[in-house]
Amino acid sequence: MSLCEAEKTFILHGVEENFRIDGREREDYRPMEVEIGIISHAFGSARLRLANTDVLVAVKIEVDTPYPEKPSQGKLDFFVDCSANATPDFEGRGGEDLATGISNSLSDAYRSSKAFDLKKLCIMKGQKCWKLLVDILLLECGGNLYDAVSLAVKAALWNTRVPGVKSVGIDGKNVELNVSERLNDCVPLDVSGAPVMVTVCKIGEYCVVDPSAAEEKCSSAALVVAVSQGNITTVLQGSAGSLHPTTLMDSLGLGVEVANQLNIALMETLQSAPPHFDVGFLK
Amino acid sequence: MPVDNRRITVPENTTCYNLFTKSKSFKNRCEHFINTSGKRPDGRKAEEHRKIFLQMNVVTQAKGSAYIEVGKTKVIVSVFDPRGIPNNSDYKQNGELYCEFKYAPFSCTKRRLHQQDSEEKQKSLIMKRSLESAVCRHEFPNFQVDIYALVLENDGSTLSAAITAAGIALAQAGIPMYDIITAAEFGYQDGTYVLDPTSQEERICSVTMQENNDSANEFKPQGIIILSMLLTHQQVSGFHANGNLRLSDVNNSFDVISRATADIANLVKKNLVKQVIKNVQENAIKK
Repeated sequence: MSLCEAEKTFILHGVEENFRIDGREREDYRPMEVEIGIISHAFGSARLRLANTDVLVAVKIEVDTPYPEKPSQGKLDFFVDCSANATPDFEGRGGEDLATGISNSLSDAYRSSKAFDLKKLCIMKGQKCWKLLVDILLLECGGNLYDAVSLAVKAALWNTRVPGVKSVGIDGKNVELNVSERLNDCVPLDVSGAPVMVTVCKIGEYCVVDPSAAEEKCSSAALVVAVSQGNITTVLQGSAGSLHPTTLMDSLGLGVEVANQLNIALMETLQSAPPHFDVGFLK
Repeated sequence: MPVDNRRITVPENTTCYNLFTKSKSFKNRCEHFINTSGKRPDGRKAEEHRKIFLQMNVVTQAKGSAYIEVGKTKVIVSVFDPRGIPNNSDYKQNGELYCEFKYAPFSCTKRRLHQQDSEEKQKSLIMKRSLESAVCRHEFPNFQVDIYALVLENDGSTLSAAITAAGIALAQAGIPMYDIITAAEFGYQDGTYVLDPTSQEERICSVTMQENNDSANEFKPQGIIILSMLLTHQQVSGFHANGNLRLSDVNNSFDVISRATADIANLVKKNLVKQVIKNVQENAIKK
């Protein structure tokens, strides 16, 4: 998307008047839709649509050996795939930089044990643990990718069910793992601390949240704040550009405030989602 | 992670021997973090930066280069001439920076691979973002400047050292810049903070500890902040935080870090002036 100077000025004046081009105020989000449990082969999945941004997240679970330096922790890995369906720019290896940027920021944000406790994924210390593989597919880009991805990941993890382990024993060098066959015998993950990311964009003299693709073009600097239960887990720069120290602190404050509200809204939505109905005769 | 088959690699599935040695427990290490007299293990105060050694023009092939030592941390940064952006078809109004941050295989306690891992990629990106706002990128449209940072020895605060050194290398290479850029790192763990953490202190600051009382979901604030500043413009060109920080912690730490960056900027200025004087003298002798 390319904008001419007049269009940029129009957006800038809109932000100054606190009336953005789509009628929102500076601290407003666009409406979003979230669906959970839509992929049958995944242990948890979610699709989130934020205006024109569309993200699909699926969680797979595998049994793995823990890292020798962290014997009592499980593993959590993020993979981002920029589909060329989203924009032609992603064709070939075009989206690779963006993809590594997003997956690294997610693993940074989830690193603190306040955000996500990896110890709960341990099956047997030093021998076996669960590995969560979170695959993120960007289906459409309409601005504000970080926010959409973090919300979708949180929803997918909320939806994830870890298979129940009936017994685990050690016989010589072999670990004998007995996983329950029953479909309903599984454990939900605790995602209350999972971070929510908010992109704060500086346009003109003001900071806005949830920028559209056009607004991103006009911003002089962008800051991505990942917030877990009111505390900041990660701050990174979304685009090139410098900020005055006071603007930096203001935008951090704005980011934390908005992220808290967003988190409450997401958790309410997820909890009010209709319960999963069991199909078939296995129950 | 793809592995380069052309290199002879060490056997896979090896582990660092340190894991098998008797080490102090984590709590024990934390107690030594800052002792009762307010001194750190290496004798510094909490707000004290390690001594810095700077040298310019260390790589002859490069257009500009700098070598920085911060305590035991050693980083070489080289900057090369602008060249056309590879595989680029459309016109770019702003020039690009290409940053590569790399730990030498022998620089850390654990051996690093020759290929960049995700941590190094992330640090390259932070470095690029920080430097972008210091360089007048509109002066070289459709061109890119390559910046390579190689860590020879890692004793904490490598990224901030690399950013500071990259600023000097860019200046020496004659790349147009708005301002001198300097960076500093800051660690925070449970109410105590340290400026310019060593790798030991970094390790302590990157672990989230549970609050001592019984409530299971209470965690102590901790984290690492990297800040890069453009001094004369009073602009934050790069800000990266990681951990579990309250907003007030970030607020309070800001003054300490920005003061440190200002101190480093003085040193950088001195070095740049020294280099200019040296160049002028050399030219005079030639004539």
